[in-house]
Amino acid sequence: MYSNIKRLTLKEKSNTVDLASWVHQYSADMVSWALFKVSDTELAKDLVQDTFLAASEKIENFRGDSSPKTWLYSILNFKIIDHYRAKVKKPVNVGGDTFSKFFSDGGEWIQSHKPHNWEEKETHLLDDDEFNKILKMCMDALPESWSLAIKLKFLLSKKGEEICEELGISPTNFWQIIHRAKLQLRECIDTNWFKEN
Amino acid sequence: MKKLMQYLFLSCLKASQLIEKKIYSRLSFKEQLQLKMHKAMCEACTNYEKDSLLIDKALQKQTTQPPVITGIDLEAFEKSLANKLEQKRKK
Repeated sequence: MYSNIKRLTLKEKSNTVDLASWVHQYSADMVSWALFKVSDTELAKDLVQDTFLAASEKIENFRGDSSPKTWLYSILNFKIIDHYRAKVKKPVNVGGDTFSKFFSDGGEWIQSHKPHNWEEKETHLLDDDEFNKILKMCMDALPESWSLAIKLKFLLSKKGEEICEELGISPTNFWQIIHRAKLQLRECIDTNWFKEN
Repeated sequence: MKKLMQYLFLSCLKASQLIEKKIYSRLSFKEQLQLKMHKAMCEACTNYEKDSLLIDKALQKQTTQPPVITGIDLEAFEKSLANKLEQKRKK
């Protein structure tokens, strides 16, 4: 009986008081979080705004089982994944030319594209600003859906299969995108960093 | 013998693809065996795996460093968001 009353008052109040105070309490952190995931300020703001608008519609579903923060972030994370899902799905054509650039018809490495040993102490390399700049530049040079596929593993902290499931693409399709992207990326770094230095 | 060879030997294209699969997921027993055999004979693919792992590490580092937020007027954002919610509530 008591819990019913409590729930009712929470529900009455929720539309007015809670959301506004939640905006004040959580929105700034949520924007940073979204920005971290999508690296685009305007997009991050839009996603947070969408989250709150969705929250206002679904406020009846929130019954205080979890903290408001957890609830809001779960909606936000869903919005972020949704954004990626739409993006990865768009380009169906992954470009048939990539493989023939690196491999002969028999599937062997073409001499000029053969990976050789980078022979670097990676600990130094990972801290090297110049190297990181080149890596970023090479990532940006890839088709967007490719670089995205590579980054999703880190952005979503998920395994390959889970990413496929999340995005609704087949694992085979996903490996192919990753493989092509990595081939390009490796060569770009090779040309711009290892051959210059 | 020919069948065994076909079973065990991969092209470099296939081998490098398995390397990516290994990084992002896991390989079946057959695939593990095939890749091991291939790498034992192929220096280029062995290098490819090292390079690819290094790239992954560097990317991991880049993507997990939280960004510094500058130049965003969050106060204005909060205000407009609160307004929008208020308007929606009134409807």
